Amino acid sequence: MPMASPLPPFRPDGARRTPVGVWGAVLIGPGALLALALTGGANPAAAITLAAASGAGGLLLARRAVRRAADPATPVAAPAVVDHPPPFDVILETLPDPLMVIAAEEADDLTGRRFVFANAAARELFKLQPRGGLLVTAMRNPQVLEAVDESLFAGVRRSVDYVGGGAQGREWAAHCAPLGVDARGARLALLVLRDETDARRSERTRADFLANASHELRTPLASLSGFIETLRGHAKDDVGARDRFLGIMQAQAERMSRLIDDLMSLSRIELNEHIAPSGQVDLAMAVIDVLDALAPQSKAKAVSFDPVLPPRGAALVEGDRDQIVQVIQNLVDNAIKYTPRDGVVRVEVFPGLTAEMAAAPRDPAAARLSLLTPDHLEGERYAVLRVSDRGPGMAREHLPRLTERFYRVEGQKSGDRSGTGLGLAIVKHIVNRHRGGLCVESVQGEGATFGVYFPMAKGEPTVAAPPAETASRALS
Amino acid sequence: MTEHTVKSYGEELNHLTAEVTRMGGLAEAQVADAIDCIARRDAPLAQQVVARDERLDTLQAEIERKAFKLIALRQPMAVDLRHAVAALKISMSLERCGDMAKNIGKRALILTEADPMTALTRSIERMGKLVQGRLKDVLDAYTASDLQRAIGVWGRDEEVDEHYNAIFRELLTYMMGDPRTINPCAHLLFVAKNLERIGDHATNIAEIIHFELTGEEIISQRPKLELSK
Repeated sequence: MPMASPLPPFRPDGARRTPVGVWGAVLIGPGALLALALTGGANPAAAITLAAASGAGGLLLARRAVRRAADPATPVAAPAVVDHPPPFDVILETLPDPLMVIAAEEADDLTGRRFVFANAAARELFKLQPRGGLLVTAMRNPQVLEAVDESLFAGVRRSVDYVGGGAQGREWAAHCAPLGVDARGARLALLVLRDETDARRSERTRADFLANASHELRTPLASLSGFIETLRGHAKDDVGARDRFLGIMQAQAERMSRLIDDLMSLSRIELNEHIAPSGQVDLAMAVIDVLDALAPQSKAKAVSFDPVLPPRGAALVEGDRDQIVQVIQNLVDNAIKYTPRDGVVRVEVFPGLTAEMAAAPRDPAAARLSLLTPDHLEGERYAVLRVSDRGPGMAREHLPRLTERFYRVEGQKSGDRSGTGLGLAIVKHIVNRHRGGLCVESVQGEGATFGVYFPMAKGEPTVAAPPAETASRALS
Repeated sequence: MTEHTVKSYGEELNHLTAEVTRMGGLAEAQVADAIDCIARRDAPLAQQVVARDERLDTLQAEIERKAFKLIALRQPMAVDLRHAVAALKISMSLERCGDMAKNIGKRALILTEADPMTALTRSIERMGKLVQGRLKDVLDAYTASDLQRAIGVWGRDEEVDEHYNAIFRELLTYMMGDPRTINPCAHLLFVAKNLERIGDHATNIAEIIHFELTGEEIISQRPKLELSK
């Protein structure tokens, strides 16, 4: 984070030093504000990001602005009319970083801060009206508000980190800089947010990976070295024991490699969790592919599938095909493991439901819990995938912990090919990345149903079945 | 500085909402920090959380004063009256949330002296994130006057209860297994209870928003979990 490190010099007289004519420009357009932000003790890092974000034209402009800032004699009010670059307001508007200009009249009126300009990224992030409003409606984090106040009334630049809420929990660095006083006497400040989720998350994921790997690999490793010791020692010439031990060792080695695979894919998914996937996937087709792929496992256990799927193209969801396949595979694989011999695994897909309908219980008597709920979006439709097994089910108290890494329901065996304990954690992170939801329902002794729902693909609403009809089916 | 302009009635009402939102932000930050200091065993942060609670109390008193003044002088009717009363009630709920956060901070200070129990604090953190999300959602619903979102928060109350019950069980197992953990586990139990109460306050705020926007109580039965199951 380049901006957070050196605190810019304190410039209480920054506003007065700038030519008065410039403040008139504040009212002309937000473009002038950028220029002002850069003059007030220009931060090169900000200039570079701003420039890089708005393409080559923007780069030239920002460079020019910086150069101007260095030369106090040059007025900043009318930059770059010479060779018709894109206007500043367009550049600001298209910046990927959320940016706001905040105005305040009285120092003691803490809630009276208003935003007078918010670019498209800021409006989308905070769901704002373009014509301005009270700052607290967009941002209520006390630390950021304090930083804004210091920029407004103490004339200093400040940077603070804060975590935005929501299912994906993004981490932001908020940078504030004073912009002086406008024609009506209101003080102005710039607030720019930079998404630093990537950097922070990769740090944490690496730490988590190491902790998990070192802890979970120790057990199979200890058993491996134990067997090796025995084989080199008193079991040296015992053919029967050697074969048995080698079998166990192979199983342990396979488990270790599965564990590493799962940990790696969990780390990868976690790193990208805040980036929504692009692409469209037909949920029903993906289910068919997975069921084909898992046929050997189901045959080995004499478990049959009972798929209830909509026609091709009806359950088109937004997503990454490989990841959605992994979700279906983990859920169906689990269901096969827990279903007794000659049992049936039911796999259903229902498109076109609202979030409430998608998460609605099907059996009122069952213990039920939503393990992941997407952020509320008006009018969003979801396609639901439900996988039901006829296994032993789980007691209510286990449900909240199911997606925990390495959590196991006591006294249950998933069969000889034991899992890594990461399957559901992977499902949860993938579904969260897809802005979807996950819920579980279980009656002890009768089985469990896992439901995941993904946002439907936008653009072809006519393809989906009428929601009312599907809903009644889903809820029946 | 500049002279005080006489604010219009509508502006005064908006201002009250904004003040409650700002207080909400403060309460949110307190809850988030309280959870953080449990998860990271961060004693200085815990002291800050305890010290900052006063600001919430001051803000609440201020909002109360403003709301009373507005009701007395402007004599609002119908939706405006509900607006003022909602601000009053929500600020009280938020102040209580702050108290819980402060209490969690105090317990975090004690817990930093005991041995770390990562598995347990992880569960607490998970529950904390859930509660934090509910508080955020309900405050977003309040700022945006979004009825659907408020109802959404209100309907998802059971999740927190489920987590609380799971943690309760987990803690009991620990305490039975090793009596030396009873002291820290008892503190964690109260932390979980405090979080559950904050979740209840979020539900309560959702109810207040529903009344503010529609003038009617939420009638249907709230999904409630029986402990005996």
